[in-house]
Amino acid sequence: MQQKRILIKDTDLKKDRTRDFYTAFLTEIQDKKLEEKVQLVRVSDIGIYGKGLTVRVLPENFLYCDVETGDISRIVSESVVEGRPIEALLHKPDDKQLRLVLRNCGLVDPESIDDYIKHDGYQAIATILEKMTPEKVIEEMKISELRGRGGAGFPTWLKWKLTRAVEADQKYVICNGDEGDPGAYMDRSVLEGDPHSVIEGMMIAAYVIGATKGFFYIRAEYPLAIERVNRAVTQAHEYGLLGENILGSSFKLDIEIRLGAGAFVCGEETALISSVEGKRGYPRPRPPYPSVKGLWGKPTVINNVETLANIPLIMLKGGKWFSSIGTEKSKGSKVFALTGKVKNSGLIEVPMGTTLKEIVFEIGGGGIAGKKVKAVQTGGPSGGVIPEDFINAPVGYESLQKLGSIMGSGGMIVMNEDDCMVDIAKFYLRFCVDESCGKCAPCRIGGTQLLHLLEKISEGKGEIEDLDRLRRISRAMQKAALCGLGQTAPNPVLSTLRYFEDEYKAHIVEKKCPAGRCAGLFHFSIIEEKCKRCGLCFRNCPVQAVSGNRDQGYLIFEEKCINCGRCFEVCKFEAVSRG
Amino acid sequence: MVNAVINGIPVKVEEGTTILDAAKTVQVQIPTLCKHEDLPPSAACGICVVKIKGNNKMLRACCTPVEEGMDIITNDPEIVDVRRTVIELILSNHPNDCLTCGRNNDCELQTLMANFGIQEEFFDKFVKKTPKDSSTGTVVLEPEKCIKCGRCVEVCQDVQDVWALSFLERGFKTRISPAGDINLADSPCVRCGQCSAHCPTGAIVEYDHTAKVWRELMDPEKYCVVQIAPAVRVSIGEAFGYPPGTNMTKKLYSLLRRLGFKAVFDTNFGADVTIMEEATEFVERFVHKKGALPLITTCCPAWVDFMEKFHSDMIDHFSSCKSPQQIVGALSKTYFAQDKKIEPDKIVMVSIMPCTAKKYEIKRDEEMFASGQQDIDIVLTTRELARMIKQAGIDMTQLPDEEADHVMGDYTGGATIFGATGGVMEAALRTAYFLVTENNLEKVEFENVRGLKGVKETSIMIGEFEIKLAIAHGLSNVEYVLNKVRKAKEKGEPLPYHFIEVMACPGGCIGGGGQPYMVKDSVRIARTKGLYADDEKSKIRCSHDNPFVQKLYNEFLGKPLGKKSHELLHTEYKGRPQYRK
Amino acid sequence: MKKLTKDDLQAIKQEELKKETANWIKVGLSTCGIAAGAQDIYDFLVEEVKKRNLGVSIQRCGCAGMCYAEPLIEVKVEGMPKVFYGKVNKETAMKIVEKHIGGKILVNDHIYDIRSSQ
Repeated sequence: MQQKRILIKDTDLKKDRTRDFYTAFLTEIQDKKLEEKVQLVRVSDIGIYGKGLTVRVLPENFLYCDVETGDISRIVSESVVEGRPIEALLHKPDDKQLRLVLRNCGLVDPESIDDYIKHDGYQAIATILEKMTPEKVIEEMKISELRGRGGAGFPTWLKWKLTRAVEADQKYVICNGDEGDPGAYMDRSVLEGDPHSVIEGMMIAAYVIGATKGFFYIRAEYPLAIERVNRAVTQAHEYGLLGENILGSSFKLDIEIRLGAGAFVCGEETALISSVEGKRGYPRPRPPYPSVKGLWGKPTVINNVETLANIPLIMLKGGKWFSSIGTEKSKGSKVFALTGKVKNSGLIEVPMGTTLKEIVFEIGGGGIAGKKVKAVQTGGPSGGVIPEDFINAPVGYESLQKLGSIMGSGGMIVMNEDDCMVDIAKFYLRFCVDESCGKCAPCRIGGTQLLHLLEKISEGKGEIEDLDRLRRISRAMQKAALCGLGQTAPNPVLSTLRYFEDEYKAHIVEKKCPAGRCAGLFHFSIIEEKCKRCGLCFRNCPVQAVSGNRDQGYLIFEEKCINCGRCFEVCKFEAVSRG
Repeated sequence: MVNAVINGIPVKVEEGTTILDAAKTVQVQIPTLCKHEDLPPSAACGICVVKIKGNNKMLRACCTPVEEGMDIITNDPEIVDVRRTVIELILSNHPNDCLTCGRNNDCELQTLMANFGIQEEFFDKFVKKTPKDSSTGTVVLEPEKCIKCGRCVEVCQDVQDVWALSFLERGFKTRISPAGDINLADSPCVRCGQCSAHCPTGAIVEYDHTAKVWRELMDPEKYCVVQIAPAVRVSIGEAFGYPPGTNMTKKLYSLLRRLGFKAVFDTNFGADVTIMEEATEFVERFVHKKGALPLITTCCPAWVDFMEKFHSDMIDHFSSCKSPQQIVGALSKTYFAQDKKIEPDKIVMVSIMPCTAKKYEIKRDEEMFASGQQDIDIVLTTRELARMIKQAGIDMTQLPDEEADHVMGDYTGGATIFGATGGVMEAALRTAYFLVTENNLEKVEFENVRGLKGVKETSIMIGEFEIKLAIAHGLSNVEYVLNKVRKAKEKGEPLPYHFIEVMACPGGCIGGGGQPYMVKDSVRIARTKGLYADDEKSKIRCSHDNPFVQKLYNEFLGKPLGKKSHELLHTEYKGRPQYRK
Repeated sequence: MKKLTKDDLQAIKQEELKKETANWIKVGLSTCGIAAGAQDIYDFLVEEVKKRNLGVSIQRCGCAGMCYAEPLIEVKVEGMPKVFYGKVNKETAMKIVEKHIGGKILVNDHIYDIRSSQ
């Protein structure tokens, strides 16, 4: 008999049960004297969540979920020894992920151009240069229906077509790697893990629009990405894949790297252009669009990292293949940085149309610490909060917009009952206020006023009229701010107001923070009946606000208390109340 | 041409016309705080938003070109609500000291607030006290009144190429300041005052010297005399309801007497003297090869400062002749004082200028003390004089016409056009022609040197000589001209020009930094017309024909470029650092 | 170096495919991995493999997405399923070298996501 392996995992995360289960399996194996031939392995993560005890038998790769102790014997005898599946327990693994953009991440050596070539790298541009006109490429891109992954979702083919149509002695292509949403790092991973695919995407874009110069705009906070892109560009130059007469054609392209100093607004394309030009990163009014007047007044295409990484694959596999993935209006896949109160935070890529629920529960493994997921935030500071009621919503540009959020560049933050929606709105707004360039009045002053109102509310000083003020300022910002940053900055406020107005009202009317986050709105006290006088709270209080002793019991002095919640956390008897 | 509809009214405008401008053609004024006709749209304020039918967004009228078939709505409850909210937001970040502000009653923000009927504050106030910067003594920065429209930065960097002002910090902390957060006086600022002329609020105003002038006028010990610059006469009327370009010269003379000045002179007389010196200097250099060519004019103190800071390699080319203001100043405390037997130190010389840099010029260096005193004591801008008139309670519109005092009150047509770009050049050519040919021109007008084109290049014949000319105004236009000279010199090629006129402000002094607000090209053209009309109606058109100038040389100075002239009417230049520690 | 042609690209690809080894470990060396200590693990593995002459090539790669489990390494040796090990410290790395590579035994409690074993 071939070496067999049994992999087990309790996907409900019940530690004691796992131990018993392991022992039961082991006993069964020993009883059947199979120790030599069968290896029992506890795995950390089997890629399935909330499906009870899960077992995988190798090499047959039978996957069984919701396994009971009574099934063990059968699994060993039928599946392990005889190599037969047990149909009743069989679980069809259903990988929700589809790694297109991330196809090479974790696979190729990002520091080796040869390794990229091995994985069909530079085949797309080679084929294009050999036998495709720019118009033909645009046609193929049109069929693919790829839309910009930076957030706005503008059709990539159209952007290229418009830029190609403008007559100019010089055109530019810029890769926007100024990823700045808090908690989002899709572009960083692509630049670090597969820089050549982005270069190849830029080459295709440059060929199509007629650019001979390209710029990578990468924020300086991404030193590794810069290093890897730098190396990749050098390698491509050495191979003659950049420079003059690329791959024996008349196409030429040089690429340089420009570092952004980390201002969020520089992700906005006109501000990015100012920054590359060496000026203050101020947005400019559009029109004229960069496709007409961009970098140094020349027609310029700016594509986001993820957009560019998609392109070689589309050209290799065809636009039709790409548009067969996804939903009616949103094609292909999308990378998300899944973070927050979710078990498996990480970088995921799913076909458009995958539901939030599938992402959070089937890929992310659900909420942490058994707490109920309350909402999912998408689109970073420009996005909104989608409540649990709508968790079956599919991801896509329009579908998320309808819910008051946006797809954005791919940040996805899971929130649970510990998250206060006023606090969340405040967090994102503070980010936008800090990052506002200060050029236009609606964003500069509006954002500050919004933040001020939210602070008032979270301190329990809000009045009911403040909700009107929030809405009024938000509307003015949406309509009158100059660039995307200011226009979308009120989204977190509006979406939390839309779905969680009750929480706002609790802060304003009852002066209470239901999630217990807003420090000004609750205080801690010790419930005498429950207190066992262990003294843990006393010893853990960082500001000596707990006084007393083991004989007389303990008291919390509100004047000294800083509401850090340490006593609440350490108490083993739920004798500290928060309210 | 494109066709569109604005509020239901069809419009037909040239391609590229913005919605803001197109609306004006159908009598629709879309409010804005940041857009200035002189400058490209910065799109900062967010007040000019309009709707296009079928588009969910609101667009900025200042920077959105009209497209074929657009159906534009400039006013509906939602638009008004957004505008009102933005205005209220701006108010929440603006101090309420209108009553004591330099722009009270003449402030774009105040007007907008009034028009929108904003009578209570809806949002909490956030105004950070920031110190004033009055270090230059010419313009005063009050950053807390700034609404960050960006006009001053645009005008300083792109129109004037000085780069003294910039935005510092970002977001809510954004503020205007010289780079490096230094005093304006230590920055490259050339005091042209264009920032103050373009500021919509009181964030940048001229340094007010009216109180000082009142004090001197009230002092019985002092003998106050005054001069008015050419460009002032055609702009001051705007403060009293006259259209731009109205010539107020004679009313100004009587006004100044009523304010208490004991003698009223005209800077134009100084301009005639300047021409005597400068035209002679040109002929010396050009015909007699004494000195560097091209010769560059130096009447404009902001230009002089700019040259000393940025183009000091050109010092040899600079005319050593002082500006008309300084000439009248030096002569009042010498020639006039001797004539009237007044102690020079009793004389207080006040000059009324369209310019903030003139406030700096009077102490530029020790040669501005040629009379043994400070030649000019106080400079007032046109805007300050307008305020004084209103304070004095004089009804400007009903004043009788009067004449200036001799001997420094009579002027020629050549002098009065000093106030417009190309004017100094034209006046100098009239006299240079005479100096070379000993005949007066039959036609004294040189149309090619006139107009608002940023750089004007032309040539004329004086006798057998072809003289190549360049006129630049707006400091950003200077580099092109100077680089052409530099390149020719470097390569040993023939000079591109022999004579260059530079004025710092677009349009020349009529568009000066101390002139009434809301200058734009149509206003510049009207003021310029006023000056050329003054020239045309003058009996004497050439400076050398001014009998009082001839008298001055006969009785006092001797000959142009003579010893006395050199003592009183000429100066020197030196390179200065752009940033002072 | 001379300029590449399309044929050269193919040649490189074939060359690289030929070089492929049966035994390799990929270490995720992106920011997420490095922040969790992946560089040390990479260095450690290079050292150990050399010392023991195991004939396993240690390779560098980008982020495989499971950032919560960094440092993450993917191990493929003959006769063993291809697996990801996560939260690998030096101790685990040693176990992987000794047990997984040496003893052909999977290491307990560090296997993450089994999709690549299929």
